[in-house]
Amino acid sequence: MNKEFKLLAKPYIAWLFILAILPIFVMIGLSFMFSEGLSFEGSYFTFDQFSLLGEDSTLTAFGNSLMYASLTAAISLVLGYFVAYNVYKSNFKNKFMILTIFILPMWSNLLLRSEALANLLDENNIINDLLSRVGLGMEIGLRGTPAAVIIGLVLTYLPFMILPIYTALEKIDYSLEEAALDLGLTKMQKFWKVIFPLSLKGVATGTILVFLPSMSGFAIPEILGSGNILLIGNIIEQSFRNMDYNLGSLLSIFILIFILGSLYVVSKVDKEGETLL
Amino acid sequence: MTNYPVATVEEYGYKDYRVLQKIYKIFSIVAVLFIVFLLYISIIMLAIQSVNSSSDVLLFDTFTLKWYAQMFSTRSLTNAIKVTFVTSIVATSIATVLGTLIAVGIYSYEKKTRQKIMLLNNIPLLNADIVTGISLMFVFSLLLPIFPYIFGPTTLIMAHLFFTLPYVILSVLPKLKETDPNLMDAALDLGVGPYKALRKIIVPAIIAGIFSGMLLAFTMSIDDFVISYFTTGNGFDNLSVWVYASIGRKSLNPSVYAFSTLLTIMTLVIMFIYQSLMRRGKKHA
Repeated sequence: MNKEFKLLAKPYIAWLFILAILPIFVMIGLSFMFSEGLSFEGSYFTFDQFSLLGEDSTLTAFGNSLMYASLTAAISLVLGYFVAYNVYKSNFKNKFMILTIFILPMWSNLLLRSEALANLLDENNIINDLLSRVGLGMEIGLRGTPAAVIIGLVLTYLPFMILPIYTALEKIDYSLEEAALDLGLTKMQKFWKVIFPLSLKGVATGTILVFLPSMSGFAIPEILGSGNILLIGNIIEQSFRNMDYNLGSLLSIFILIFILGSLYVVSKVDKEGETLL
Repeated sequence: MTNYPVATVEEYGYKDYRVLQKIYKIFSIVAVLFIVFLLYISIIMLAIQSVNSSSDVLLFDTFTLKWYAQMFSTRSLTNAIKVTFVTSIVATSIATVLGTLIAVGIYSYEKKTRQKIMLLNNIPLLNADIVTGISLMFVFSLLLPIFPYIFGPTTLIMAHLFFTLPYVILSVLPKLKETDPNLMDAALDLGVGPYKALRKIIVPAIIAGIFSGMLLAFTMSIDDFVISYFTTGNGFDNLSVWVYASIGRKSLNPSVYAFSTLLTIMTLVIMFIYQSLMRRGKKHA
């Protein structure tokens, strides 16, 4: 491509530095300070926020975040791989349709979907109401429990697992599978020795795309957990709402550490971010 | 010719697992369909809630279409819908054009530099929404002394531009790699300026990538909550922010279910038309 076009990317690099990198330094600064919101007037250097880190509520939120995100990622990985593999193996080759089916739910508002799911998981829900009229009522009240939060997270982020795995599977050369079978591998061995290792790129991307938003989100736990379950995102949101930018920044930095780790993994397995879509 | 019985797998000393395989196949089809159904269950719930005459979402009263009729008479809801569409359409359009140009720019770097830029480009994509939202809020707040009324449409659209651009770039770049590198040289040899060559030769070759990037950008933009929540202001609330506030007040107007359902149906119809047009186009070609 023409070297002259390099100019086109330069402003974008500056834009990324200002909007993505610079704020990280502001955050680091704020976490060592006491300040009124963002005004640096009358602010001073302190480690006060760090003592709040040891508080039970913060520690529980950290534990919850890690546990819920890991569980969500694990469940999504199993379900997502299963779906992606079966779609890949089926005769259904219309990629546009496949993408549409999994992207379409995302077009409805995330909060409305969570709210609808929460209503469905309520002890008395519409479906139950309709079913009980024909004598089929049963009561499962999950709203406000950890299970509800996990269900909500999995159903929301599952497409982010399915799509990268499907993309990775689709890129596998079919002649490799033929070769594996010719060389006498059973179907099981072919899957574990040939297909699965070649799809790891998609698995890594999918896991990151599910783990990160589950860990840091605050709307889904708030709606489906009826406020009983606090993740780290909820604490950050609360501190920013209460104008405690210092604690919020400090906690955000902990999330950033996970994100940097993920960026590192992505840059190793997928140099130009091809499976991120 | 004698009719010998066909040898079975067992006679060769193997166990016949074909029945099991068939059962597994049926099981997997049912399971996949069930998982897809689960992905849609909340949308189905929204549809049921949108035709329920009772405003109590937990009890079904009678079938009604009144929420559809009232959809545009609730001012705050109409306003939120307008804000959502204006923001998403403006941000997506800008992101599509700029993203394509930036992708061309990135592609003209050599591989090592390109990978470094892509690492930077992946930050908004992988960053937690809450961190992105707060980061942008910081930068916009630093601009407050110069532009006191910056929070509102400007910041919301800039924020959406910030997180949609990487998607466009990521879907355009692979298409650029697929194009023949000689195309550009040929165009230049024939006496066209580089930017005209870009418009006439490269863009048509990568149009599929541009289109899918645009679709992705729009999907992300229209559904965003967290980043919008931190970067908007002055009552310029999009649907997500409005819904969040309404849920907090426990006063969600059922018309919003009607709007959401209508939007889903419209999307389905558009996808269906697009799909059948594509199929017809393929047949003629």
